[in-house]
Amino acid sequence: MTDRPGQVRPPATRLGAMAGAVGLLSAVGMIGCRGTQSALDPAGPAAAGVLSLFWWMLGGGVLIWLAVAGLALYAIVIERPQHEPTATRWWVIGGGVVAPTVILTVLLIYGLQLIPPLVRDAPPGSLTVEVDGVRWWWRVRYLTPDGPVETANEIRLPVDEPVQFLLRSDDVIHSFWIPALGGKMDMIPGRENRLALTADRAGTFRGACAEYCGASHALMNFDVQTLPRQEFDAWLAAQRAPAVEPETELGAAGARLFLQSGCGACHAVRGTAADGGVGPDLTHLGGRRTIGAGMLPNDVEALRRWIRDVDELKPDVDMPAFDHLSEEELRAIAVYLKGLK
Amino acid sequence: MSESLKRFLKPLGITAAGLALLGGLLVVSGIVPVRASSGHWAITRWFLSFSMARSVSTDSLDVTVPDTLDDPREILRGAGHYQTGCYPCHGNPTTPHPRVAQAMLPQPPYLPETLDQWEPEELFVIVKHGIKLAGMPAWPAEDRDDEVWAMVAFLKRYPSLSEEEYGTLVWGDAAPGQGRAALEAAGVVRAHVQTCVRCHGADGNSRGVGAFPRLAGQHEVYLAEALRAYVSGGRTSGIMEPIAAELTAEEIDALAAYFTAQTPRGLLTDPEALSPEAVARGERIARDGAPRRKVPSCVDCHGPGEAIENEAYPLLAGQPEEYLRTQLELFARGARDGSPRANLMHEVAENLSEEQMADVAAYYAAESPDGSPDTSSDE
Repeated sequence: MTDRPGQVRPPATRLGAMAGAVGLLSAVGMIGCRGTQSALDPAGPAAAGVLSLFWWMLGGGVLIWLAVAGLALYAIVIERPQHEPTATRWWVIGGGVVAPTVILTVLLIYGLQLIPPLVRDAPPGSLTVEVDGVRWWWRVRYLTPDGPVETANEIRLPVDEPVQFLLRSDDVIHSFWIPALGGKMDMIPGRENRLALTADRAGTFRGACAEYCGASHALMNFDVQTLPRQEFDAWLAAQRAPAVEPETELGAAGARLFLQSGCGACHAVRGTAADGGVGPDLTHLGGRRTIGAGMLPNDVEALRRWIRDVDELKPDVDMPAFDHLSEEELRAIAVYLKGLK
Repeated sequence: MSESLKRFLKPLGITAAGLALLGGLLVVSGIVPVRASSGHWAITRWFLSFSMARSVSTDSLDVTVPDTLDDPREILRGAGHYQTGCYPCHGNPTTPHPRVAQAMLPQPPYLPETLDQWEPEELFVIVKHGIKLAGMPAWPAEDRDDEVWAMVAFLKRYPSLSEEEYGTLVWGDAAPGQGRAALEAAGVVRAHVQTCVRCHGADGNSRGVGAFPRLAGQHEVYLAEALRAYVSGGRTSGIMEPIAAELTAEEIDALAAYFTAQTPRGLLTDPEALSPEAVARGERIARDGAPRRKVPSCVDCHGPGEAIENEAYPLLAGQPEEYLRTQLELFARGARDGSPRANLMHEVAENLSEEQMADVAAYYAAESPDGSPDTSSDE
């Protein structure tokens, strides 16, 4: 905005226009804040607590900004000797020392009292999920009394129950974050960090790695689904079961090719000879929403592309590209994998 | 600048310019002979050999000599290549001065007479980089210092070899056997058959020593693809590339089929030389991988003990320890491509430590190659 002589509007009018513009822009922007990966659309008490802190901070910040900006404008328009020096000194001490101390102390106390529930463990006996950050995907193991159930890049949780996460990493520091359910927690090699989360509504969300961890950090996401307890139990039981047999001839050919190409050296498909523990467990890959740690939709075409061009899709990935396989072979393997419901 | 210096520089400049012009005219006129037949003046010969010796000496300052030069397997590897790559110019005890090479300038020396003037690191420099304008080629594979050192190991031994000893080293079992006849009948020309079996044996068991990889019983697709990779240069080797380059597509297929059909026999690595701990560690990696290093198991693709095997992946049981270790190191360095599947090994080898490579190599070297099911396997 350029100030042209003779066209300067009274300050109050300009301020009002600016506030209006900011308000309008914010309203438009807020529409984008709903969604699967948004801390502004909480689905659990931890995220709601963080969000309320955010709103208080934002509201307070706006009020303080308005007050400071108003005083500054006032200071510009008044005549110099209009105030007593003693009164101005009180303004400086009151506004510059007392007010910030009081406001920051209140905020600190409010912020600190939010932390204990965020870091408190889930009660004993709660569902426990071990999540291992690996460049660039998530190994997920449900530690149940009947033994662990492993999956990858997908977490399903029962609603209205605290769930205990045990967070680990074998390579570099990652950070586990489901914005709709709570705050971030770092995954540090050699340590086990704990985070308890509760979902208070069913829905589909997305988590992400929130600590830069290398070339494909931005491609390290996961799907989160919160379900009523019964549906969750059914899902977990299905995850525990070994892989289903391929239904089509193409799928069966894909299963043979999968083993023949050595895929089983890195990937496990429980119930088959594939028992590798280096890459994601693929036993029930077909039932996941996405592949490649939240990168692509889970369909035959994407799977085929992934197997052939994985090194181009995900920079620095450990999986080698199987671009020497023919299109028919790639398709067969993709059909087999998609069939692993 | 002082006046006197200027007076001195001016005629100097004119003289230099005149000489340069004269030199240029001399070259353009074409009266300087490049005929090999005309020989060198004695002083030219002295100057060339002196400057070559100085250059080689300086070039070898940062070369570290490995401790493997007395290893009989290294000497054997070098000997195998000598007959292919060096003999045509440098001769051998039977034919010290090949007739064509005698007409070269400079004349390639009969090496037993000259080798004692070179240190091993100097030989390394000469074999690896060749000599400009002397007809001595550089090693065809720039990133295979291991092969160059094998050559140096042989050269160190060479002067003390009798004609008979040379023959045994280079030709091995030279008797014409059924294998050779079968290969020739399959369309591989006799000279190529000879070149293959000299080192890898007519039975593909690589003379029972750990100098060369075993071909007997290896997957046919893999063998053919390995040869094709040597032809394309994807897989580098100063020893194998020149040999493979001369093979026709039919010969490659015939050789692959022939060696695949041979029966693998015996270990190529002395089990006494392998530490049982290394073998045990290697077995763990081969069977379970090294998950913390993101290394998958080896056996899923390379056996032993897995039911389904891919014809394009090589079988590793009973291959020589040194060969396996070298290939892993080449994969890790990114110096080994090859078949369209070579990329599968790059990530794996990069993630292995040097010790782990040695362990895995020791495990496979100690495994029996005959394909009989391994009783210790729980697969």
